[in-house]
Amino acid sequence: MVNVMKGILVKCDPAMKQFLLHLDETLKLGRKFIIQDLDDSHLFISSDILESLQTKIDDLMDQISFPMNEKDK
Amino acid sequence: MAPPKRYGGKYEGKSKKRKKDDDDAWTYEEDDTNETEGAAVPGAAGRNAENNDQTAQEDEFGAKDYRNQMILKTDNTSRPLWVAPNGHIFLESFSPVYKHAHDFLIAISEPVCRPEFIHEYKLTAYSLYAAVSVGLQTHDIIEYLKRLSKTSVPEGIQEFIKLCTLSYGKVKLVLKHNKYFVESLHPDVLQKLLKDPVIQECRLRRNIENEGEEEFITQVQEKKNLPSFGTKPGTSSEPAENTTVPDDITNFYDKIDNEEEEEETSLKTVSFEVNQEKIEIIQKRCIELEYPLLAEYDFRNDTVNPDINIDLKPSAVLRPYQEKSLRKMFGNGRARSGVIVLPCGAGKSLVGVTACCTVRKRALVLCNSGVSVEQWKQQFKMWSTADDSMICRFTSEAKDKPMGCGILVTTYSMITHTQKRSWEAEQTMKWLQEQEWGIMVLDEVHTIPAKMFRRVLTIVQSHCKLGLTATLLREDDKIADLNFLIGPKLYEANWLELQKRGFIARVQCAEVWCPMTPEFYREYLICKTSKRLLLYVMNPNKFRATQYLIRYHERRGDKTIVFSDNVFALKHYAIKMNKPYIYGPTSQGERIQILQNFKFNPKVNTIFVSKVADTSFDLPEANVLIQISSQGGSRRQEAQRLGRILRAKKGAIAEEYNAFFYTLVSQDTMEMHYSRKRQRFLVNQGYSYKVITKLAGMDEESDLLYKTRDEQGQLLQQVLAASDIDCEDEKIPGEGGIRAMINRRVGGIGSLSGADDTVYYEYKKNAASSTANKHPLFKKFRY
Repeated sequence: MVNVMKGILVKCDPAMKQFLLHLDETLKLGRKFIIQDLDDSHLFISSDILESLQTKIDDLMDQISFPMNEKDK
Repeated sequence: MAPPKRYGGKYEGKSKKRKKDDDDAWTYEEDDTNETEGAAVPGAAGRNAENNDQTAQEDEFGAKDYRNQMILKTDNTSRPLWVAPNGHIFLESFSPVYKHAHDFLIAISEPVCRPEFIHEYKLTAYSLYAAVSVGLQTHDIIEYLKRLSKTSVPEGIQEFIKLCTLSYGKVKLVLKHNKYFVESLHPDVLQKLLKDPVIQECRLRRNIENEGEEEFITQVQEKKNLPSFGTKPGTSSEPAENTTVPDDITNFYDKIDNEEEEEETSLKTVSFEVNQEKIEIIQKRCIELEYPLLAEYDFRNDTVNPDINIDLKPSAVLRPYQEKSLRKMFGNGRARSGVIVLPCGAGKSLVGVTACCTVRKRALVLCNSGVSVEQWKQQFKMWSTADDSMICRFTSEAKDKPMGCGILVTTYSMITHTQKRSWEAEQTMKWLQEQEWGIMVLDEVHTIPAKMFRRVLTIVQSHCKLGLTATLLREDDKIADLNFLIGPKLYEANWLELQKRGFIARVQCAEVWCPMTPEFYREYLICKTSKRLLLYVMNPNKFRATQYLIRYHERRGDKTIVFSDNVFALKHYAIKMNKPYIYGPTSQGERIQILQNFKFNPKVNTIFVSKVADTSFDLPEANVLIQISSQGGSRRQEAQRLGRILRAKKGAIAEEYNAFFYTLVSQDTMEMHYSRKRQRFLVNQGYSYKVITKLAGMDEESDLLYKTRDEQGQLLQQVLAASDIDCEDEKIPGEGGIRAMINRRVGGIGSLSGADDTVYYEYKKNAASSTANKHPLFKKFRY
């Protein structure tokens, strides 16, 4: 029988792929979302998770950046 | 000379205990809010102009509309300033009157940010205090601000300046003829002070008959010559001013400029004498009354303390900014206490030496390591006529006979050491305490906690204090305390300007982004806390980038220093690349050998150092700095490290840049965050960082290490096998907490008494691990 799943192809650098795998394994978004691990820089993920994934990645970026113009106090 | 061995051994033996003591003091310092300090700071210091602009309208981007408070003048194009109602001042550095405005603003405000074209300054209570103490008057400050400003000066700011300056600087504590006087230009202020019962008690009356009458000693000061500092370079007359400068600005500038120098030319001053034992009380009381006493030392009229015979050598030529900073200090022929801020490598030592030569009384120089003690001695011998018999070192390694010498160089920890000392050191300390020192020079003054500093002050009696530093900045905002412990900031140099004029090297700052390898990033995501640090430092891509940069610069014939705070990484990198390295436990002899080789041996072009080399390691040859791991978000460390390569290079103007400062950052990790944080100070000084995402030409290097996944995997195994102690940054004695020394082990109570078949043996604790714990302050930055 043929199963049809809607998904999105994600292209990213190898480190970011690890982050996605990490989110997938630890169920950070509540469930598994990676459908197929294609190669070093490509993943196939389910499309309905996209929004929460984007916020998660924004969080990561916020964490590692530091606002330059913030006052010293 | 005395045999140094005996003391040395003893000192070392106690060092662990002492360290613990130090640590206690330090942690205490960080944690509490210093109620004691609060008392010693006048109320006005708490004022802040920041909130004066609540009423201003804000637009959607947070910009404020000041138009109704600031009226634009018609000739605004020829004036360089905007004064905002919240105390911030913006200066156009391309304005023809820039130089005037700049000097003036340095005196009255704190520089916030100084990039190339527009500089931002801020008026604070401290900066105004400093302004008054170098002799500026309230109305002059306001008047000059008005003239320089493109717009009208907001009412609130005028109020603020008045509030902060009116009571400051009116009374001075002067030591002359070895009597203490409270001196003032304003008889009414003195009258007011004397109404206070506490101060009345402190007053010393020579002739009892006159009691009851409030009579002051009135005197007319005659014009005093300025002390000249060595041979002055022929100061070329200023280039003809651009005619667009409004006359009132130049005229007034001249007036202020002259005033600084001849401020007290035949001025009537009134004073009363103070009982020497009650100096402390009167100082404190005056601060409470909001008339802080400015301490001045009339060293020319000091007849009790013998002069020491020391002069600047004719070959010592002061640079213009060095002279300017000293002029602020000796402005009216007396010595003021204060702090001078100059970038690393801009010749702080020469300023210190010159100050000592000007005062010509016994001098005490305090610095923070044994190495810099040696360097100070060298500096004294290089710039002044002092010889070995006059300069005495007092450290755990070297102890010269102190009796009768003119200049004593020692470290902060030597003075504040509380444990038992050897007999010999005890004698020296006793002698030190009995002396009245003419001047005390405090090197790297930002590094000492206020508490330690207090202890120094209670031990050493000195008439004036000069603090020297490159970065008046601490992560724990304790810097303001220095204002009242030492004195106001007398001078702060502009880094970019010195760079432009070739006094310090032109540095290209670069941040190199190294992508994490998938395997390392995976582990990074999984593991917690301290291991993470090791993972991003040991990132194979970073290793390869380091190796590539080292090779690239070795080919160019540059001298490279590589900094790593993490000892595990330091050793690994250095051993893999076969380069010498220095860290905490490296012995003095080995250090000197490595440094000498680095200086003179053309085969040794790269050395690896831990943070022991952050300050006071003089490496004039180095012009490339690579930073692979650093201490959290410490701005000070970043600036200090940059300072290692700032010393002006030979043939400086040939190239656009002659020094390079690389920070290697592992992408997508917390290191990015720290890196941004660290850069703030240098960015405010006008430096810009270039972000390099890919090092061109790195692919062509085929023999870089850790190329294959196999090798990378092995490295990962090593990193994962590393113990927790390896993950921590190196600890410098006297800087860290004690917590890291405590280890928790799981085990039964029985094993304590030997119930398990444990074999007891003695072992020496790994030297690295005892220095591996970390400052509690910086622990907070890691989660």
